[in-house]
Amino acid sequence: MDMLKYSIRRLLQGLITVLLIATVVFLLMRMLPTDYYFTEEQQMKFTDEQKEAALAAAGLTDPIGEQLLDFYVDLVHLDFGESRRIQSGVAVVDVIGEKFTISMRMGIISLAISLCLGVLLGIGQTIGKDHLVDHIGTAYTVFVNAVPALVSYSLVLVIGSRVFGLPSVYSSRVNTGLSMVLPTICISLSSIAGYALWTRRYMVDEITKDYIKLAKVKGLSTSQIMVRHVLRNAFVPLAQYLPASFLLTISGSLLAERFFSVPGMGPLLTDAISRYDLNIVQTLVILYGSLGVLGVFLGDVLMMLIDPRISLTGKGGGAR
Amino acid sequence: MSNENVKTVTAEEPVNEDELFHFVPYSAEQAEAIGYSDYSYWGSVWKNFLKNKVAVLLAILFIALFIFSFIALAIGKYNFAELKPDTTMAFISPNSEYWFGTDNLGRDYWCQVWYASQTSIKLAAIVAVGECLLGVSIGLVWGYVRAADRFFTELYNLINNIPTIIYMTLIALLVGRTFTIMAVSMILIGWLTMARNVRNLVIMYRDREYNLASRCLGTPLGRILTKNILPYLISVIILRLSLSIPSTISLESTLSYLGLGLGDDTPSLGILLRDARNYFLNYPYLLIFPAVIVSIITVTFYLVGNAFSDAADPRNHV
Repeated sequence: MDMLKYSIRRLLQGLITVLLIATVVFLLMRMLPTDYYFTEEQQMKFTDEQKEAALAAAGLTDPIGEQLLDFYVDLVHLDFGESRRIQSGVAVVDVIGEKFTISMRMGIISLAISLCLGVLLGIGQTIGKDHLVDHIGTAYTVFVNAVPALVSYSLVLVIGSRVFGLPSVYSSRVNTGLSMVLPTICISLSSIAGYALWTRRYMVDEITKDYIKLAKVKGLSTSQIMVRHVLRNAFVPLAQYLPASFLLTISGSLLAERFFSVPGMGPLLTDAISRYDLNIVQTLVILYGSLGVLGVFLGDVLMMLIDPRISLTGKGGGAR
Repeated sequence: MSNENVKTVTAEEPVNEDELFHFVPYSAEQAEAIGYSDYSYWGSVWKNFLKNKVAVLLAILFIALFIFSFIALAIGKYNFAELKPDTTMAFISPNSEYWFGTDNLGRDYWCQVWYASQTSIKLAAIVAVGECLLGVSIGLVWGYVRAADRFFTELYNLINNIPTIIYMTLIALLVGRTFTIMAVSMILIGWLTMARNVRNLVIMYRDREYNLASRCLGTPLGRILTKNILPYLISVIILRLSLSIPSTISLESTLSYLGLGLGDDTPSLGILLRDARNYFLNYPYLLIFPAVIVSIITVTFYLVGNAFSDAADPRNHV
């Protein structure tokens, strides 16, 4: 019962945050000069009156308060409007529906790969602390974190296409599966490093604790200790991020999708801003905001499920 | 002083107490002597830093690279300002005339690469220092003044919850894409992390007893902040300062790649990498030169920052 009340309160708070974000983005977008509403061709051909008429028809010349009110009314009816310049006249929901599957498929594959490889690397680094595996892992982490993504993507592209002969550009018609390989590797690079870094960090913290000594004295094997005791405890803080990263795979990766010309969600936001496609921008911000809030909440719940000592409602009487 | 004598005696044979303890005569000089330690904070930081061989080596490499970028521009056969597109000279591999070859428009790559490195370093340095100044001063007030906490926390949540790319796109479309605008807008977004870090630490130190005593004695606010609290934050500030250099360079290259970064007339390493995207599969040298330089810069600051902040933490000093 407590949990239900808590969840409802958290989600309502999240709703307010999302509304606030949507409002700020709405106002920010209104600061753009309306010139961006027209294509370059229209910009040349249209007279000032024609431009004015087009803007008025779209309701963009109304006072800002009135526009904001319309926006809220539409939102309550879950009406996200139509796209204007990205795909003229198509409902925003359809534009997103078409693109998100591509991003999400690559995102989920990448999440699975990076979770497995990252956690494995982290375990390896903990067992072989200050030995070769650890040094290789650290070098990898430093490389991925320090070097700009553009450089590491270029490296992946060169190696992938020169050595393994993989397609260098995404294609939805021929060999879709193979052309997905390089972008997926690129998306995974930094998250593998992230999971490895934190797994190692938490496991090293955990391994010096008393109960591990007891487990050793009891005669458990290293692999039993590592997987059953250390990893399970070290995984709790990592679990916090899992749901959010799973849900946000939908947003795709801006740089990777541009780099490999993937027609996914990544570049949609910037494209929509620079083409004054307000409905798409607003819908995307609301979507990402809600998924982010939901993800953090689910992360807390997951953390509580894995570690029964953690209580979200504050009445469990737990030590933490 | 007599410590060493005692040790040598006990090591050899048992001695009676009279030999161990005895009265010393009064000496005016000894009575006035002050305990002395040659501990100096920055001296220890420096000594600890020098122990990290990789970081020292990279730091030297970076300084050499930076100095060489000026020499390289001076000894190059072409001047950046006088480069003219000439497609008949495109894609010449590195040779004695064009040391780094030419790009797709037939311009000398050597002077572009070194000029771009200077632009990137300059941008990153300005942004890092700006972020640091703004972030530390706001963070100190945010953490120390209770009345301001609510306001700054709300501001932080609001700015932080909206994707950076929206701000950067809006700024690029609204005011343009010059060097100054890039630097200012990156500072305006980047101070958040720094301020939040500083704020969390200030909250930890604000109500320690020595600060309480200081306040009772009437120390002015400014002095408490700069003399009592700031020294504790130095290692964190240095870490953030040097980590912000690789992340600024990364962000700049990503933005340039998306067409939201610097204009084409001021090439940065990001812009060179962007331009190389379509050609480097056939002309790898277009990728190698900027990529190696950018990697040296970013990895150096990443490692040096970590090493220096470890060294700057007084808890690691002997």
